[in-house]
Amino acid sequence: MEAFINGLSAISPQNTFAEEKLLQEPGEYCDVRFIKCLEPQYSGFIDPMAARRMSRIIKMGVCSAIKCLKDAGIRNPDAIITGTGMGCVEDTGKFLISIYENDEKLLNPTPFIQSTHNTVGASIALALKCNNYNNTYGHRGFSFESALLDAMMLLQEKQACDILVGALDELTPDLFTITDRLGFWKKVPVNNLCLKDSKSRGSIAGEGTAFFALSRHKSEKSLARISSVMTFFRPENITELQNRITSIGKPDLVILGINGDPQGDEIYSHLRKGIFNDIPALYYKHLCGEYDTSSAFALAMASGIIREQRVPDIMKLDDIPVGELRNILIYNHLRNVNHSAILVTSC
Amino acid sequence: MEQLVQKLKEEIITALNLSEMKPENIDEKAPLFVDGLGLDSIDALELTVLLEKKYGLKIQTSEEGKKVLYSVRSMAEFIRENNKG
Repeated sequence: MEAFINGLSAISPQNTFAEEKLLQEPGEYCDVRFIKCLEPQYSGFIDPMAARRMSRIIKMGVCSAIKCLKDAGIRNPDAIITGTGMGCVEDTGKFLISIYENDEKLLNPTPFIQSTHNTVGASIALALKCNNYNNTYGHRGFSFESALLDAMMLLQEKQACDILVGALDELTPDLFTITDRLGFWKKVPVNNLCLKDSKSRGSIAGEGTAFFALSRHKSEKSLARISSVMTFFRPENITELQNRITSIGKPDLVILGINGDPQGDEIYSHLRKGIFNDIPALYYKHLCGEYDTSSAFALAMASGIIREQRVPDIMKLDDIPVGELRNILIYNHLRNVNHSAILVTSC
Repeated sequence: MEQLVQKLKEEIITALNLSEMKPENIDEKAPLFVDGLGLDSIDALELTVLLEKKYGLKIQTSEEGKKVLYSVRSMAEFIRENNKG
């Protein structure tokens, strides 16, 4: 089971949407507890009459999807599959507040209609006038991986040739407040580029969208190939985790989901001392923050690294020499519940 | 009446997030849907909510809705005729 990545586009707290080369000018955020996306100009990507109704995450999702397809030279994909942990939170918040404030009466339809997890997938289909397979996965830390698995199975079964797969999650003030109460985020602001050295509990919140044009066929536009996607729920111990990860094969480089929370990062430390001890390691959450579908940002980074055969210094965790990059393993976990591994290979 | 039309135009711009539109760009007699402003069925629901929230007026039937929501002028006439308070 494999899929060629023939185009990608990501909107993130880094300048990923506009930069042609990977992380040319890494974004530094001083004294932050969350980082938010650098939004592009939407005109040129989204019809203004449609955009007026869209929340920020819908605009970001549709815009990155359209750019991804343009880059891949695809007008109408055979399927649109999205993954999102939290869906369209801003509209959900508006709708719930409206219910509360108006005593469950006179509710505006737009936030209700746009509050679902599949709003972005549907909005992309409307923009493209695409009536093909359209599915959205809302599986917390597995959301993006589930979308990828669905796409790869469709490609393997030859039910589709070109598929648009994407991930999206937004951070709103309400979501930050609620998740802050749950202890997800650092209480004291930090510099994002020093995240891995932070000793305090929690991470920094983030958000982003990333879309990939996947195909059964290699083309001159192919950046990389997804060779394997694996998810595992609450592994019992580190041995089980190591056994599962090693079954994917030995990579030339690993990209880890280190998020600056000592408790969760302990797992990565174990792996770096164990199965990854002689493999160059990178991390990425200091660049995008922590969110349910951050592994999609990591996949965009891995694709860029393979294409450019260059590792941005800002992502490095060690000085282990990097040779030819053929296989990159992305390993991430969300609060030790949802663990996933994605193997990205050169074409 | 002219004051009401102007106010209604501003409320419609806010309710439907027509941020690039100014009240003077809206022809009060032009159809709101398909032609004219090019609004759609979701906008019709938003305008129905607007009438009820701001003016306490309910549209009773879909036929009445078609008539009332035809243009800004027809909405203003509906408000003037029914909003005695």
